[in-house]
Amino acid sequence: MKLSKYLKTNFLIILLFIVIIAIINLILISFKTNEQAIIGVNLTAIIGFILSTIYDFNRRKKFYSKFLNNLELLDKKYLITEMIEKTNFYEGEILYDALYEIDKSMAEEIKNYSLSLVDFKEYIEMWIHEVKLPLASLNLIVHNHKELSDKKIVEQLKRIDDDVEQVLYYVRSENAQKDYLIKETKISKVISNVAMKNKDILLENNINLEVEVGDKKVLTDSKWLEFIVNQIISNSIKYIKKGVEHYIKITAKENEKSIILKIYDNGIGIKKSDIPKVFDKTFTGNNGRKIETSTGMGLYITKQLCKKLGHKVTIDSKENEYTEVSIFFNKDDFLYVAK
Amino acid sequence: MKKILIIEDDKSISKELKELLDNAEFNAIILEDFENSFEEIKKQNPDLILLDINIPSLNGEILLKKIRKESNVPIIMVTSKNTEADEVLSMSYGADDYITKPYNPTILLLRINAIFKRMENKNTVLTYNDLVIDPKKGIIKNEKEELILTKNEMIIFTFLLANRGNIVTRDDLMTELWNNNSYINDNALNVNISRLRTKLTDFGYVDTIETRKGQGYILK
Repeated sequence: MKLSKYLKTNFLIILLFIVIIAIINLILISFKTNEQAIIGVNLTAIIGFILSTIYDFNRRKKFYSKFLNNLELLDKKYLITEMIEKTNFYEGEILYDALYEIDKSMAEEIKNYSLSLVDFKEYIEMWIHEVKLPLASLNLIVHNHKELSDKKIVEQLKRIDDDVEQVLYYVRSENAQKDYLIKETKISKVISNVAMKNKDILLENNINLEVEVGDKKVLTDSKWLEFIVNQIISNSIKYIKKGVEHYIKITAKENEKSIILKIYDNGIGIKKSDIPKVFDKTFTGNNGRKIETSTGMGLYITKQLCKKLGHKVTIDSKENEYTEVSIFFNKDDFLYVAK
Repeated sequence: MKKILIIEDDKSISKELKELLDNAEFNAIILEDFENSFEEIKKQNPDLILLDINIPSLNGEILLKKIRKESNVPIIMVTSKNTEADEVLSMSYGADDYITKPYNPTILLLRINAIFKRMENKNTVLTYNDLVIDPKKGIIKNEKEELILTKNEMIIFTFLLANRGNIVTRDDLMTELWNNNSYINDNALNVNISRLRTKLTDFGYVDTIETRKGQGYILK
Protein backbone atom coordinates (compact mmCIF):
# COMPACT_ATOMS: atom_id res chain seq x y z
CA MET A 1 0.00 0.00 0.00
CA LYS A 2 1.50 3.25 -1.12
CA LEU A 3 1.12 6.55 0.74
CA SER A 4 0.95 8.59 -2.47
CA LYS A 5 -1.95 6.51 -3.78
CA TYR A 6 -3.67 6.67 -0.42
CA LEU A 7 -3.39 10.46 -0.42
CA LYS A 8 -4.67 10.57 -3.95
CA THR A 9 -7.81 8.62 -3.12
CA ASN A 10 -8.32 10.84 -0.06
CA PHE A 11 -7.78 13.96 -2.18
CA LEU A 12 -11.29 15.33 -1.54
CA ILE A 13 -10.96 15.05 2.24
CA ILE A 14 -7.62 16.86 2.15
CA LEU A 15 -9.09 19.53 -0.10
CA LEU A 16 -12.07 19.90 2.22
CA PHE A 17 -9.70 20.22 5.19
CA ILE A 18 -7.72 22.97 3.41
CA VAL A 19 -10.91 24.84 2.55
CA ILE A 20 -12.15 24.59 6.13
CA ILE A 21 -8.77 25.85 7.47
CA ALA A 22 -8.98 28.72 4.99
CA ILE A 23 -12.51 29.58 6.09
CA ILE A 24 -11.50 29.41 9.78
CA ASN A 25 -8.56 31.68 9.04
CA LEU A 26 -10.81 34.11 7.22
CA ILE A 27 -13.23 34.15 10.15
CA LEU A 28 -10.39 34.56 12.67
CA ILE A 29 -8.85 37.40 10.62
CA SER A 30 -12.19 39.11 10.11
CA PHE A 31 -12.69 39.06 13.89
CA LYS A 32 -9.18 40.58 14.25
CA THR A 33 -7.97 37.70 16.39
CA ASN A 34 -4.52 37.75 17.85
CA GLU A 35 -1.93 36.53 15.30
CA GLN A 36 -0.37 34.01 17.68
CA ALA A 37 -3.76 32.52 18.38
CA ILE A 38 -4.31 32.08 14.63
CA ILE A 39 -0.97 30.24 14.31
CA GLY A 40 -1.84 28.10 17.32
CA VAL A 41 -5.20 27.13 15.88
CA ASN A 42 -3.66 26.39 12.48
CA LEU A 43 -0.84 24.26 13.91
CA THR A 44 -3.19 22.28 16.13
CA ALA A 45 -5.57 21.62 13.30
CA ILE A 46 -2.86 20.67 10.76
CA ILE A 47 -0.87 18.44 13.15
CA GLY A 48 -4.11 16.81 14.27
CA PHE A 49 -5.12 16.14 10.72
CA ILE A 50 -1.72 14.75 9.74
CA LEU A 51 -1.60 12.47 12.77
CA SER A 52 -5.07 11.11 12.17
CA THR A 53 -4.21 10.53 8.51
CA ILE A 54 -1.03 8.68 9.41
CA TYR A 55 -2.89 6.54 11.95
CA ASP A 56 -5.58 5.69 9.46
CA PHE A 57 -3.04 4.93 6.72
CA ASN A 58 -0.98 2.71 8.99
CA ARG A 59 -3.71 0.44 10.20
CA ARG A 60 -4.95 -0.02 6.67
CA LYS A 61 -1.44 -0.62 5.41
CA LYS A 62 -0.79 -3.17 8.13
CA PHE A 63 -3.93 -5.10 7.24
CA TYR A 64 -3.74 -4.93 3.46
CA SER A 65 0.01 -5.55 3.23
CA LYS A 66 -0.39 -8.70 5.25
CA PHE A 67 -3.41 -9.68 3.17
CA LEU A 68 -1.64 -9.15 -0.15
CA ASN A 69 1.52 -10.82 1.08
CA ASN A 70 -0.37 -13.90 2.21
CA LEU A 71 -2.28 -13.98 -1.03
CA GLU A 72 0.95 -14.00 -2.96
CA LEU A 73 2.40 -16.82 -0.89
CA LEU A 74 -0.68 -18.97 -1.24
CA ASP A 75 -0.73 -21.64 -3.89
CA LYS A 76 -4.48 -21.98 -3.64
CA LYS A 77 -5.69 -18.40 -3.45
CA TYR A 78 -9.12 -19.26 -2.17
CA LEU A 79 -7.65 -20.33 1.15
CA ILE A 80 -7.01 -16.66 1.96
CA THR A 81 -10.03 -16.50 4.24
CA GLU A 82 -8.25 -18.91 6.57
CA MET A 83 -5.35 -16.48 6.95
CA ILE A 84 -7.13 -13.13 7.25
CA GLU A 85 -7.12 -11.53 10.71
CA LYS A 86 -10.03 -9.70 12.21
CA THR A 87 -9.59 -5.93 11.80
CA ASN A 88 -10.48 -2.92 13.85
CA PHE A 89 -11.80 -0.82 10.99
CA TYR A 90 -15.03 -1.03 9.13
CA GLU A 91 -13.90 -1.65 5.51
CA GLY A 92 -11.67 -4.50 6.59
CA GLU A 93 -14.59 -6.15 8.29
CA ILE A 94 -16.70 -5.79 5.15
CA LEU A 95 -13.91 -7.35 3.09
CA TYR A 96 -13.52 -10.20 5.56
CA ASP A 97 -17.22 -10.99 5.65
CA ALA A 98 -17.59 -10.67 1.87
CA LEU A 99 -14.66 -12.97 1.14
CA TYR A 100 -15.98 -15.47 3.62
CA GLU A 101 -19.38 -15.47 1.93
CA ILE A 102 -17.86 -15.72 -1.55
CA ASP A 103 -15.69 -18.63 -0.52
CA LYS A 104 -18.56 -20.43 1.08
CA SER A 105 -20.79 -20.18 -1.94
CA MET A 106 -17.91 -21.15 -4.24
CA ALA A 107 -17.20 -24.19 -2.09
CA GLU A 108 -20.83 -25.23 -2.39
CA GLU A 109 -20.74 -24.75 -6.12
CA ILE A 110 -17.57 -26.82 -6.45
CA LYS A 111 -19.05 -29.51 -4.26
CA ASN A 112 -22.02 -29.77 -6.60
CA TYR A 113 -19.73 -30.13 -9.56
CA SER A 114 -17.50 -32.68 -7.94
CA LEU A 115 -20.51 -34.69 -6.86
CA SER A 116 -21.90 -34.70 -10.36
CA LEU A 117 -18.43 -35.68 -11.61
CA VAL A 118 -18.32 -38.59 -9.19
CA ASP A 119 -21.78 -39.62 -10.36
CA PHE A 120 -20.64 -39.41 -13.95
CA LYS A 121 -17.54 -41.44 -13.22
CA GLU A 122 -19.59 -44.12 -11.50
CA TYR A 123 -21.96 -44.21 -14.42
CA ILE A 124 -19.11 -44.54 -16.91
CA GLU A 125 -17.51 -47.35 -14.90
CA MET A 126 -20.82 -49.13 -14.67
CA TRP A 127 -21.47 -48.62 -18.36
CA ILE A 128 -18.05 -50.00 -19.21
CA HIS A 129 -18.71 -53.13 -17.17
CA GLU A 130 -21.98 -53.47 -19.04
CA VAL A 131 -20.44 -53.05 -22.48
CA LYS A 132 -17.83 -55.68 -21.67
CA LEU A 133 -20.56 -58.28 -21.51
CA PRO A 134 -21.54 -58.17 -25.20
CA LEU A 135 -17.84 -57.98 -25.99
CA ALA A 136 -17.14 -61.13 -24.00
CA SER A 137 -20.14 -62.75 -25.59
CA LEU A 138 -18.98 -61.83 -29.09
CA ASN A 139 -15.51 -63.20 -28.38
CA LEU A 140 -17.05 -66.50 -27.37
CA ILE A 141 -19.39 -66.57 -30.36
CA VAL A 142 -16.51 -65.93 -32.74
CA HIS A 143 -14.55 -68.70 -31.09
CA ASN A 144 -17.41 -71.19 -31.06
CA HIS A 145 -18.58 -70.56 -34.60
CA LYS A 146 -15.41 -70.58 -36.62
CA GLU A 147 -17.43 -71.10 -39.78
CA LEU A 148 -18.99 -67.64 -39.66
CA SER A 149 -16.04 -65.67 -38.39
CA ASP A 150 -12.39 -64.94 -38.81
CA LYS A 151 -9.46 -63.15 -37.22
CA LYS A 152 -10.56 -59.79 -38.54
CA ILE A 153 -13.58 -59.78 -36.27
CA VAL A 154 -11.43 -60.63 -33.26
CA GLU A 155 -9.11 -57.76 -34.16
CA GLN A 156 -11.98 -55.30 -34.38
CA LEU A 157 -13.34 -56.58 -31.08
CA LYS A 158 -9.97 -55.95 -29.53
CA ARG A 159 -10.02 -52.43 -30.90
CA ILE A 160 -13.39 -51.77 -29.29
CA ASP A 161 -12.12 -53.19 -26.03
CA ASP A 162 -9.01 -51.00 -26.14
CA ASP A 163 -11.06 -47.89 -26.82
CA VAL A 164 -13.54 -48.68 -24.08
CA GLU A 165 -10.67 -49.31 -21.69
CA GLN A 166 -9.17 -45.96 -22.65
CA VAL A 167 -12.34 -44.16 -21.58
CA LEU A 168 -12.29 -46.02 -18.27
CA TYR A 169 -8.70 -45.06 -17.53
CA TYR A 170 -9.23 -41.50 -18.71
CA VAL A 171 -12.00 -41.13 -16.15
CA ARG A 172 -9.80 -42.72 -13.52
CA SER A 173 -6.80 -40.56 -14.33
CA GLU A 174 -8.81 -37.32 -14.19
CA ASN A 175 -10.48 -38.18 -10.95
CA ALA A 176 -9.17 -37.18 -7.58
CA GLN A 177 -10.30 -40.42 -6.00
CA LYS A 178 -7.65 -42.96 -5.25
CA ASP A 179 -8.88 -46.08 -6.96
CA TYR A 180 -5.67 -47.92 -7.48
CA LEU A 181 -3.90 -50.39 -5.25
CA ILE A 182 -0.13 -50.53 -5.11
CA LYS A 183 1.42 -53.90 -4.55
CA GLU A 184 4.47 -55.84 -5.56
CA THR A 185 3.97 -56.89 -9.17
CA LYS A 186 6.02 -59.09 -11.45
CA ILE A 187 6.83 -57.19 -14.65
CA SER A 188 6.85 -60.41 -16.67
CA LYS A 189 3.26 -61.13 -15.63
CA VAL A 190 2.08 -57.73 -16.81
CA ILE A 191 3.95 -58.07 -20.10
CA SER A 192 2.55 -61.57 -20.57
CA ASN A 193 -1.03 -60.33 -20.23
CA VAL A 194 -0.45 -57.46 -22.64
CA ALA A 195 1.36 -59.74 -25.11
CA MET A 196 -1.51 -62.18 -25.01
CA LYS A 197 -4.01 -59.41 -25.73
CA ASN A 198 -1.99 -58.29 -28.74
CA LYS A 199 -0.89 -61.73 -29.93
CA ASP A 200 -3.04 -61.89 -33.05
CA ILE A 201 -2.33 -58.39 -34.26
CA LEU A 202 1.42 -58.80 -33.62
CA LEU A 203 1.56 -62.07 -35.54
CA GLU A 204 -0.65 -60.69 -38.30
CA ASN A 205 1.68 -57.75 -38.82
CA ASN A 206 4.87 -59.82 -38.51
CA ILE A 207 6.07 -57.88 -35.51
CA ASN A 208 8.56 -59.77 -33.37
CA LEU A 209 8.21 -59.34 -29.66
CA GLU A 210 11.39 -59.69 -27.65
CA VAL A 211 11.00 -59.67 -23.91
CA GLU A 212 13.87 -59.64 -21.45
CA VAL A 213 12.54 -58.54 -18.13
CA GLY A 214 13.71 -61.39 -15.91
CA ASP A 215 12.03 -61.79 -12.54
CA LYS A 216 12.03 -58.12 -11.64
CA LYS A 217 9.24 -56.89 -9.41
CA VAL A 218 7.96 -53.34 -9.06
CA LEU A 219 5.54 -51.54 -6.79
CA THR A 220 2.51 -50.59 -8.86
CA ASP A 221 -1.12 -51.34 -9.63
CA SER A 222 -0.86 -54.23 -12.07
CA LYS A 223 -4.08 -53.39 -13.93
CA TRP A 224 -3.05 -49.79 -14.43
CA LEU A 225 0.39 -50.82 -15.56
CA GLU A 226 -1.17 -53.30 -17.96
CA PHE A 227 -3.21 -50.49 -19.47
CA ILE A 228 -0.12 -48.27 -19.71
CA VAL A 229 2.01 -50.94 -21.40
CA ASN A 230 -0.87 -51.80 -23.71
CA GLN A 231 -1.11 -48.16 -24.78
CA ILE A 232 2.59 -48.02 -25.56
CA ILE A 233 2.61 -51.31 -27.44
CA SER A 234 -0.53 -50.34 -29.35
CA ASN A 235 1.34 -47.24 -30.50
CA SER A 236 4.31 -49.36 -31.55
CA ILE A 237 1.97 -51.53 -33.59
CA LYS A 238 0.15 -48.54 -35.06
CA TYR A 239 3.32 -46.75 -36.15
CA ILE A 240 5.31 -49.53 -37.79
CA LYS A 241 7.71 -48.69 -40.60
CA LYS A 242 7.30 -50.34 -43.95
CA GLY A 243 10.09 -52.31 -45.58
CA VAL A 244 11.93 -53.52 -42.49
CA GLU A 245 11.61 -56.43 -40.13
CA HIS A 246 9.51 -55.00 -37.32
CA TYR A 247 10.28 -55.63 -33.72
CA ILE A 248 9.33 -54.46 -30.25
CA LYS A 249 11.85 -55.04 -27.53
CA ILE A 250 10.92 -54.87 -23.88
CA THR A 251 13.66 -54.80 -21.29
CA ALA A 252 13.96 -54.05 -17.60
CA LYS A 253 17.02 -52.45 -16.07
CA GLU A 254 17.89 -51.53 -12.55
CA ASN A 255 20.00 -48.87 -10.87
CA GLU A 256 20.33 -47.78 -7.23
CA LYS A 257 17.22 -45.64 -7.26
CA SER A 258 14.86 -47.25 -9.69
CA ILE A 259 13.80 -50.07 -11.95
CA ILE A 260 13.35 -48.95 -15.53
CA LEU A 261 11.03 -50.67 -17.98
CA LYS A 262 11.95 -49.84 -21.55
CA ILE A 263 9.78 -50.48 -24.58
CA TYR A 264 11.68 -50.02 -27.80
CA ASP A 265 10.38 -50.29 -31.35
CA ASN A 266 11.95 -49.74 -34.75
CA GLY A 267 8.90 -47.92 -36.08
CA ILE A 268 8.53 -44.62 -37.84
CA GLY A 269 9.69 -42.68 -34.78
CA ILE A 270 8.65 -39.19 -33.78
CA LYS A 271 9.69 -35.88 -35.29
CA LYS A 272 12.12 -34.12 -32.95
CA SER A 273 9.97 -31.03 -32.62
CA ASP A 274 6.97 -33.20 -31.67
CA ILE A 275 8.68 -35.12 -28.86
CA PRO A 276 8.17 -32.54 -26.08
CA LYS A 277 4.45 -32.43 -26.87
CA VAL A 278 3.56 -36.14 -27.18
CA PHE A 279 2.22 -36.33 -23.61
CA ASP A 280 -0.06 -33.32 -24.14
CA LYS A 281 -3.79 -33.87 -24.26
CA THR A 282 -5.16 -34.36 -27.80
CA PHE A 283 -1.75 -33.74 -29.38
CA THR A 284 -1.44 -35.85 -32.53
CA GLY A 285 1.41 -34.13 -34.35
CA ASN A 286 3.08 -35.25 -37.51
CA ASN A 287 2.41 -38.98 -37.05
CA GLY A 288 -1.22 -38.34 -36.18
CA ARG A 289 -1.75 -36.78 -39.56
CA LYS A 290 -0.52 -39.96 -41.23
CA ILE A 291 -2.71 -42.29 -39.22
CA GLU A 292 -6.39 -41.55 -38.90
CA THR A 293 -7.11 -43.31 -35.66
CA SER A 294 -4.85 -41.09 -33.57
CA THR A 295 -6.75 -39.31 -30.84
CA GLY A 296 -3.84 -37.88 -28.90
CA MET A 297 -5.26 -39.35 -25.71
CA GLY A 298 -3.25 -42.55 -25.20
CA LEU A 299 0.03 -41.05 -24.10
CA TYR A 300 -1.70 -38.25 -22.21
CA ILE A 301 -3.60 -40.79 -20.11
CA THR A 302 -0.42 -42.84 -19.75
CA LYS A 303 1.38 -39.84 -18.29
CA GLN A 304 -1.48 -38.99 -15.93
CA LEU A 305 -1.68 -42.55 -14.64
CA CYS A 306 2.09 -42.70 -14.15
CA LYS A 307 1.95 -39.44 -12.23
CA LYS A 308 -0.72 -40.84 -9.93
CA LEU A 309 1.18 -44.06 -9.35
CA GLY A 310 4.39 -42.12 -8.73
CA HIS A 311 6.23 -43.46 -11.79
CA LYS A 312 8.14 -41.30 -14.22
CA VAL A 313 7.63 -41.81 -17.94
CA THR A 314 9.89 -40.49 -20.68
CA ILE A 315 10.08 -40.87 -24.41
CA ASP A 316 13.06 -40.92 -26.68
CA SER A 317 12.90 -41.19 -30.44
CA LYS A 318 14.57 -40.58 -33.75
CA GLU A 319 12.42 -40.05 -36.79
CA ASN A 320 12.42 -43.05 -39.13
CA GLU A 321 14.54 -45.09 -36.72
CA TYR A 322 13.09 -45.88 -33.33
CA THR A 323 10.91 -44.93 -30.39
CA GLU A 324 11.74 -45.87 -26.83
CA VAL A 325 9.39 -45.29 -23.92
CA SER A 326 10.85 -45.69 -20.43
CA ILE A 327 8.91 -46.07 -17.21
CA PHE A 328 10.80 -45.47 -13.99
CA PHE A 329 9.62 -47.27 -10.85
CA ASN A 330 10.97 -46.08 -7.55
CA LYS A 331 12.54 -48.65 -5.35
CA ASP A 332 10.94 -48.40 -1.99
CA ASP A 333 13.49 -48.77 0.77
CA PHE A 334 10.80 -49.03 3.40
CA LEU A 335 9.44 -52.16 1.83
CA TYR A 336 12.75 -53.91 2.21
CA VAL A 337 13.13 -52.66 5.77
CA ALA A 338 9.70 -54.06 6.56
CA LYS A 339 10.70 -57.38 5.10
CA MET B 1 -15.86 -85.92 -17.70
CA LYS B 2 -15.21 -82.94 -15.47
CA LYS B 3 -18.26 -81.03 -14.42
CA ILE B 4 -18.03 -77.25 -14.61
CA LEU B 5 -20.67 -74.97 -13.17
CA ILE B 6 -21.20 -71.60 -14.86
CA ILE B 7 -22.52 -68.88 -12.57
CA GLU B 8 -23.22 -65.99 -14.90
CA ASP B 9 -26.41 -63.98 -15.34
CA ASP B 10 -25.79 -62.78 -18.90
CA LYS B 11 -27.72 -65.37 -20.88
CA SER B 12 -25.75 -64.94 -24.09
CA ILE B 13 -22.40 -65.37 -22.34
CA SER B 14 -23.44 -68.37 -20.32
CA LYS B 15 -24.85 -70.08 -23.39
CA GLU B 16 -21.68 -69.52 -25.43
CA LEU B 17 -19.53 -70.43 -22.46
CA LYS B 18 -21.37 -73.73 -22.17
CA GLU B 19 -20.80 -74.40 -25.85
CA LEU B 20 -17.11 -73.59 -25.51
CA LEU B 21 -16.72 -75.91 -22.54
CA ASP B 22 -18.81 -78.69 -24.05
CA ASN B 23 -16.68 -78.54 -27.20
CA ALA B 24 -13.60 -78.85 -25.00
CA GLU B 25 -15.08 -82.04 -23.58
CA PHE B 26 -16.22 -80.75 -20.26
CA ASN B 27 -19.66 -81.21 -18.84
CA ALA B 28 -20.84 -77.62 -18.46
CA ILE B 29 -23.90 -76.72 -16.43
CA ILE B 30 -25.47 -73.28 -16.14
CA LEU B 31 -26.78 -72.17 -12.79
CA GLU B 32 -30.37 -71.04 -13.27
CA ASP B 33 -31.64 -70.31 -9.79
CA PHE B 34 -29.71 -67.39 -8.35
CA GLU B 35 -32.03 -67.12 -5.36
CA ASN B 36 -30.78 -70.42 -3.99
CA SER B 37 -27.35 -70.40 -5.63
CA PHE B 38 -25.56 -71.86 -2.66
CA GLU B 39 -27.88 -74.85 -2.28
CA GLU B 40 -27.83 -75.35 -6.04
CA ILE B 41 -24.02 -75.51 -6.04
CA LYS B 42 -24.03 -78.10 -3.28
CA LYS B 43 -26.56 -80.15 -5.18
CA GLN B 44 -24.60 -80.04 -8.44
CA ASN B 45 -21.28 -80.77 -6.73
CA PRO B 46 -19.14 -79.52 -9.65
CA ASP B 47 -15.40 -80.10 -10.20
CA LEU B 48 -14.87 -76.40 -10.95
CA ILE B 49 -16.89 -73.20 -10.78
CA LEU B 50 -16.74 -70.19 -13.09
CA LEU B 51 -18.09 -67.35 -11.01
CA ASP B 52 -19.05 -63.83 -12.02
CA ILE B 53 -18.99 -61.06 -9.40
CA ASN B 54 -22.03 -59.13 -10.61
CA ILE B 55 -24.78 -61.69 -10.22
CA PRO B 56 -28.30 -61.23 -8.91
CA SER B 57 -29.22 -61.95 -5.33
CA LEU B 58 -25.98 -62.98 -3.62
CA ASN B 59 -22.93 -61.04 -4.87
CA GLY B 60 -20.16 -63.22 -6.32
CA GLU B 61 -17.57 -62.30 -3.73
CA ILE B 62 -19.90 -63.15 -0.88
CA LEU B 63 -20.91 -66.38 -2.57
CA LEU B 64 -17.23 -67.23 -3.00
CA LYS B 65 -16.63 -66.68 0.70
CA LYS B 66 -19.59 -68.84 1.56
CA ILE B 67 -18.49 -71.70 -0.68
CA ARG B 68 -14.98 -71.59 0.73
CA LYS B 69 -16.28 -72.17 4.23
CA GLU B 70 -17.46 -75.60 3.20
CA SER B 71 -15.57 -76.67 0.11
CA ASN B 72 -12.25 -76.50 -1.68
CA VAL B 73 -13.71 -76.80 -5.18
CA PRO B 74 -11.59 -74.76 -7.63
CA ILE B 75 -13.19 -71.40 -8.44
CA ILE B 76 -12.24 -69.07 -11.27
CA MET B 77 -13.64 -65.59 -11.01
CA VAL B 78 -14.73 -64.44 -14.46
CA THR B 79 -15.78 -60.84 -14.30
CA SER B 80 -15.80 -57.46 -15.97
CA LYS B 81 -14.64 -55.74 -12.78
CA ASN B 82 -11.10 -55.09 -13.83
CA THR B 83 -9.53 -53.59 -10.73
CA GLU B 84 -6.63 -54.68 -8.60
CA ALA B 85 -8.77 -54.31 -5.48
CA ASP B 86 -11.39 -56.74 -6.75
CA GLU B 87 -8.74 -59.23 -7.77
CA VAL B 88 -6.91 -59.02 -4.46
CA LEU B 89 -10.18 -59.39 -2.59
CA SER B 90 -11.27 -62.41 -4.64
CA MET B 91 -7.92 -64.11 -4.25
CA SER B 92 -7.92 -63.47 -0.53
CA TYR B 93 -11.37 -65.05 -0.30
CA GLY B 94 -9.85 -68.14 -1.86
CA ALA B 95 -10.45 -67.90 -5.61
CA ASP B 96 -8.00 -69.98 -7.65
CA ASP B 97 -7.82 -67.59 -10.57
CA TYR B 98 -9.20 -64.26 -11.75
CA ILE B 99 -9.99 -63.52 -15.39
CA THR B 100 -11.51 -60.34 -16.74
CA LYS B 101 -14.01 -59.98 -19.54
CA PRO B 102 -13.65 -59.91 -22.45
CA TYR B 103 -11.20 -62.77 -22.38
CA ASN B 104 -9.61 -64.91 -25.02
CA PRO B 105 -11.60 -68.20 -24.92
CA THR B 106 -8.45 -70.25 -25.50
CA ILE B 107 -6.87 -68.63 -22.46
CA LEU B 108 -9.88 -69.48 -20.35
CA LEU B 109 -9.56 -73.13 -21.38
CA LEU B 110 -5.84 -73.06 -20.65
CA ARG B 111 -6.45 -71.67 -17.17
CA ILE B 112 -9.12 -74.29 -16.48
CA ASN B 113 -6.82 -77.07 -17.63
CA ALA B 114 -3.96 -75.63 -15.61
CA ILE B 115 -6.04 -75.85 -12.46
CA PHE B 116 -7.07 -79.44 -13.13
CA LYS B 117 -3.48 -80.30 -13.95
CA ARG B 118 -2.28 -78.70 -10.74
CA MET B 119 -4.73 -80.81 -8.79
CA GLU B 120 -3.78 -84.08 -10.43
CA ASN B 121 -0.14 -83.52 -11.14
CA LYS B 122 0.91 -84.44 -7.65
CA ASN B 123 1.56 -88.07 -8.48
CA THR B 124 0.98 -88.66 -12.17
CA VAL B 125 3.91 -88.94 -14.55
CA LEU B 126 3.64 -87.75 -18.15
CA THR B 127 4.24 -90.60 -20.57
CA TYR B 128 4.11 -91.18 -24.30
CA ASN B 129 4.23 -94.88 -25.26
CA ASP B 130 7.51 -96.02 -23.69
CA LEU B 131 8.76 -92.47 -23.16
CA VAL B 132 8.70 -90.67 -19.85
CA ILE B 133 8.48 -86.89 -20.00
CA ASP B 134 9.91 -84.54 -17.41
CA PRO B 135 8.79 -81.04 -18.45
CA LYS B 136 10.61 -79.31 -15.61
CA LYS B 137 13.98 -80.73 -16.60
CA GLY B 138 13.17 -80.52 -20.29
CA ILE B 139 13.92 -84.22 -20.78
CA ILE B 140 12.28 -87.11 -22.59
CA LYS B 141 13.69 -90.53 -21.87
CA ASN B 142 13.21 -94.22 -22.40
CA GLU B 143 15.03 -96.94 -20.52
CA LYS B 144 18.30 -96.37 -22.34
CA GLU B 145 18.56 -92.82 -23.53
CA GLU B 146 17.72 -89.24 -22.66
CA LEU B 147 16.66 -86.55 -25.08
CA ILE B 148 16.95 -82.88 -24.24
CA LEU B 149 14.23 -80.58 -25.55
CA THR B 150 14.31 -76.80 -25.58
CA LYS B 151 11.69 -74.89 -23.63
CA ASN B 152 9.57 -74.23 -26.71
CA GLU B 153 9.84 -77.80 -27.99
CA MET B 154 8.74 -79.05 -24.61
CA ILE B 155 5.74 -76.71 -24.50
CA ILE B 156 4.69 -77.90 -27.97
CA PHE B 157 5.19 -81.56 -27.17
CA THR B 158 3.34 -81.55 -23.86
CA PHE B 159 0.48 -79.58 -25.39
CA LEU B 160 0.17 -82.04 -28.28
CA LEU B 161 0.39 -84.86 -25.77
CA ALA B 162 -2.36 -83.41 -23.61
CA ASN B 163 -4.57 -83.32 -26.72
CA ARG B 164 -3.29 -86.61 -28.12
CA GLY B 165 -5.40 -87.96 -30.94
CA ASN B 166 -7.10 -84.61 -31.50
CA ILE B 167 -6.18 -81.89 -33.93
CA VAL B 168 -4.40 -78.96 -32.33
CA THR B 169 -4.61 -75.74 -34.34
CA ARG B 170 -1.61 -73.54 -34.91
CA ASP B 171 -3.49 -70.81 -33.10
CA ASP B 172 -3.94 -72.99 -30.03
CA LEU B 173 -0.26 -73.90 -30.07
CA MET B 174 0.67 -70.26 -30.44
CA THR B 175 -1.61 -69.30 -27.54
CA GLU B 176 -0.04 -71.99 -25.36
CA LEU B 177 3.47 -70.79 -26.22
CA TRP B 178 2.67 -67.12 -25.66
CA ASN B 179 0.91 -68.03 -22.45
CA ASN B 180 4.25 -69.48 -21.31
CA ASN B 181 6.11 -66.26 -22.14
CA SER B 182 7.53 -67.58 -25.41
CA TYR B 183 6.57 -64.84 -27.81
CA ILE B 184 7.59 -66.59 -31.01
CA ASN B 185 6.38 -65.90 -34.54
CA ASP B 186 5.02 -68.20 -37.24
CA ASN B 187 8.44 -69.02 -38.68
CA ALA B 188 9.83 -69.91 -35.30
CA LEU B 189 6.87 -72.20 -34.70
CA ASN B 190 7.65 -74.04 -37.95
CA VAL B 191 11.29 -74.34 -36.98
CA ASN B 192 10.43 -75.65 -33.52
CA ILE B 193 8.01 -78.23 -34.84
CA SER B 194 10.44 -79.51 -37.45
CA ARG B 195 13.25 -79.71 -34.87
CA LEU B 196 10.94 -81.57 -32.50
CA ARG B 197 10.10 -83.99 -35.32
CA THR B 198 13.78 -84.57 -36.06
CA LYS B 199 14.52 -85.25 -32.40
CA LEU B 200 11.63 -87.69 -32.12
CA THR B 201 12.70 -89.38 -35.36
CA ASP B 202 16.21 -89.82 -33.94
CA PHE B 203 14.56 -91.51 -31.02
CA GLY B 204 12.77 -93.92 -33.28
CA TYR B 205 9.45 -92.15 -33.45
CA VAL B 206 9.00 -91.40 -37.15
CA ASP B 207 6.04 -89.27 -38.32
CA THR B 208 4.48 -89.06 -34.89
CA ILE B 209 3.42 -85.44 -35.40
CA GLU B 210 1.19 -85.32 -38.41
CA THR B 211 0.31 -82.12 -40.25
CA ARG B 212 -3.34 -81.70 -41.15
CA LYS B 213 -3.35 -79.16 -43.91
CA GLY B 214 -5.26 -75.97 -43.04
CA GLN B 215 -6.20 -77.41 -39.66
CA GLY B 216 -3.19 -77.99 -37.50
CA TYR B 217 -1.20 -80.84 -35.99
CA ILE B 218 -2.03 -84.13 -34.40
CA LEU B 219 0.09 -86.37 -32.20
CA LYS B 220 -0.49 -90.01 -33.01
